[in-house]
Amino acid sequence: MNRSILSVLMAVMATAVAAHAGSISGKVSGVAGESVVYVDTIAGKTFPAPAEHPVIDQKGLLFQPHITVVLRGTTVEFRNSDNVAHNVFWPSIQQGAKKLPGKNLGTWPQGEKRPFKFDQAGAAALLCNVHPEMAGYIVVSPTPYYATTDNSGNYKIDGVPDGQYNVVAWHEGAKTQSKAVAVAGDGKADFTLTK
Amino acid sequence: MRFTHWALGFCLVGVVLAAGPYSQAIPAFSRQYGTSCSTCHVDFPKLNDFGKAFKDAGFKFPKDDETFMKIPPVLLGAPAQKEMWPHSIWPGTLPGLPMIGLRFNTFFQVYGKNRNNFAPPGPGAPGIPRTDFQPGLFSIFTAGNFGSGIAFWVDDDFSVGGANSNGGLGDGYLKFHNIGRLFKLPNDSLNLRVGQFEIDLPFSPARSWNLSGWDIYDEANFGAANGLGPGVNNSFAFSSPGQGVEISGGHMYKGYHYSLAVLNQNTNSGAVAAGANVSPEVGIFSDSNFKDLYGRFQYRFNLEKDVASRNDIQAAGPSGPRDHTYLQLGTFYFYGRSVQRITPPDTTTVLTAREPFYRTGGDFSFNYRTFNLFGLYMYGHDRSQVLDPVGQTNLIAAPSAHFSGGFLEADYLALPWLMTIMRYDRVQSTADFLNGQGAANFFAAASGTRNRVTPGVQFLIHANIKASFEYQIRPNQTGTDSKGNPIDFRTNQGVAGLEWVY
Repeated sequence: MNRSILSVLMAVMATAVAAHAGSISGKVSGVAGESVVYVDTIAGKTFPAPAEHPVIDQKGLLFQPHITVVLRGTTVEFRNSDNVAHNVFWPSIQQGAKKLPGKNLGTWPQGEKRPFKFDQAGAAALLCNVHPEMAGYIVVSPTPYYATTDNSGNYKIDGVPDGQYNVVAWHEGAKTQSKAVAVAGDGKADFTLTK
Repeated sequence: MRFTHWALGFCLVGVVLAAGPYSQAIPAFSRQYGTSCSTCHVDFPKLNDFGKAFKDAGFKFPKDDETFMKIPPVLLGAPAQKEMWPHSIWPGTLPGLPMIGLRFNTFFQVYGKNRNNFAPPGPGAPGIPRTDFQPGLFSIFTAGNFGSGIAFWVDDDFSVGGANSNGGLGDGYLKFHNIGRLFKLPNDSLNLRVGQFEIDLPFSPARSWNLSGWDIYDEANFGAANGLGPGVNNSFAFSSPGQGVEISGGHMYKGYHYSLAVLNQNTNSGAVAAGANVSPEVGIFSDSNFKDLYGRFQYRFNLEKDVASRNDIQAAGPSGPRDHTYLQLGTFYFYGRSVQRITPPDTTTVLTAREPFYRTGGDFSFNYRTFNLFGLYMYGHDRSQVLDPVGQTNLIAAPSAHFSGGFLEADYLALPWLMTIMRYDRVQSTADFLNGQGAANFFAAASGTRNRVTPGVQFLIHANIKASFEYQIRPNQTGTDSKGNPIDFRTNQGVAGLEWVY
C-alpha cells in the first residue's frame, strides 16, 4: 500500500469519526460569571498535550487571564509584566474531593517567564505571596473536551465522541459538581452550583 | 483578685486596649491601587521594603505608577500644557478618589501596683483604679500625590479618649520629591518638605506599631533650679511634631538617606501664643526667632548573597520576594535653644534665659528574613541658667541637665499575621536623679522610673484589623507604707489594644 492510499484511508476514517462526534451543552446557574465545564477522565484514553504553552501574566497586580483552562500535561508559562516583584504559588490542587499538594514557583524579574507542566487534573487557585489580593485560577482538564460559560452561564463542548461521560462543572469559590451524561450526537447537562 | 489572675484573664479573653502612640496605615492607597495593606506593611503600620520604596517615591509605586492605579487620577491640565508654561499653569493631577483613611483604636489596661500600694487612699489621695477600659483615637489621615512628584500628607485626631478631645494635627505637609533633577543632581538625592511633620527619626514614634511608645522619644529635660528659677525646663521631646522645612535625599530601602531640617523653636510644650499682629492674626508657635536644627544620616547595607539583587526594592527569595537581609546604621543631631523669661522680684525688667541644648545619638537596624533587631541610643544635654542669688538681677550659669537612654527591640514575624516583640527601654536623667524615689514618683499610676522590659504579641485578624498585647515589666522599687513598714513592688502594666483602619 503506498503512502497516498494510506492518506486517503485515514481521511475517510477521520471523517467517519467526526460524523459520530457530538456535543454537550447546558447551563450553569446559581453563580455569576465565568464557569468551566469539562469531561472528566475517560478510562483507557489519554490525550497528547498541546505543543503551545499558554501564558498567564501578572500585570497591574492582576493575574491575566483570571481563569485559564488547559489539558492535562500542558506546560503553562507564568510571566511577570509588572515593575514590582511577584510570586506564583498554589496551596493545593483540588481534584474532586481530594486535595493534591500545591507548588511555589518562587519569584522572577519583570519580563521573564517561568514554565510549569500541569500533569495532574483539577483546579488550583494561583496566588502571589506579596500581594495577597491577587488571585487567578487554572483548571486542568483530563480531556480536551472542555468549555467556559458565557455571561448567562451557557456552554457548549463540541467534538465529543458518542459515549457515556462524567461531566464536571467548576466555578470560583463554588462547590464543584459532576454529572453523568450520555452523548449520542448531543448531550445535555445543566448544573446549579452553590457556594 | 491577685494581679496575676487579672493579667491571665484579660490575655485569655483577648478583647482589649491601651494608650500610646498608635499606628497609621493608609487604606486610601489600598483603594487606589486595589491592593492589600500587606503590600506595604509588615504588621501595619510597620513598613516592609516595598512600603519604604513607596514612601520614598512620594506615595507612588516606584516605577510605572499609573499602570497600577485602579482608579485613574483626574488631570488638572493636559500634560501637553507643560510646553505652554509659563503661559499656563503647570499641569498636575488629583487622586481619582478622596484619599481618606480612618482609624479607631480602643484599649484595656491593668496596673500591677500603683500609688495605692505606697500610700493607702485617704483624704487628698483618692484611690487610683488599677484597671481601665479606654477609647483611643479616632483619626483621619489623607495622603497621596498631586503629580510632578509632589506628595501630601495630613492627619488629625478627631477625638482622643472618646470624649471629644481634640487630639489636633499630627503631620500636615507637602513634599516636593526629587527636586534635585532641576539641578541635574542624581535621582532622588534632593527632596523638600514644608509644613508640620515629625522629624526624620530612625524609628517613627508616630508610626510605631507598639502599644506604648519608646520612652526615650518622650523624654523632656528638666534640671535643678536654685529656688529662684528658671533652671532647665525644656518640654521639647522627639515625639513632638515640628513646623518648618526639611531637605532630604536617598532611600530608606537601600544605600544612604539624609535629612536636614530647620524647625520652630518651641520648648514650651507646644503651646501656641495668641496672635498679636495685624489682621489676620495667627497663633505663634515659636518661642523666639531662633530656629532649631536637626540632621540625620543613615546608610543601609543590603547583604544579599546575590549582589545584583541588593539594589532591588525587595530580595528575590526562593519562595517569593521578601525584605532584604540588611544592616542599617545611622546617627542624628538636634540643636535648639530653650527660651525662658522671668521677672526678677526687685525689678520690672524681664530676663530671658536662652539655654542651648542638643540631642544626639546613633541607631542600628538588622534584618534577617522575618527577624528584625533594632535599637537607638540618645544623649540629651541642656545648658542651664538660674537667677543670681546675689542681687537677683541677672542670670548665671548653673549645672547643666542631661539624660541618656534608648531602646533595643526585637520583632519576629512568626507568621504573616503574628508578630512577637521583645523590647527594653531605658532612660536616665537629671530629673530622675533629682526626684529620687520619693513620693513624687508615684503620683502617677505608672512609676516615674523609666526602665522596662516589654514583651508583646500582635495578631492581624485581617490585614486592616489588629489585636495587640504587651506587658511592661518595670524594676522593683522600695519604699515604706503609711505605717513605716518597708515595701517593695513593681508598677507593671498590662495593655491590650484593638485597632482597625478603613
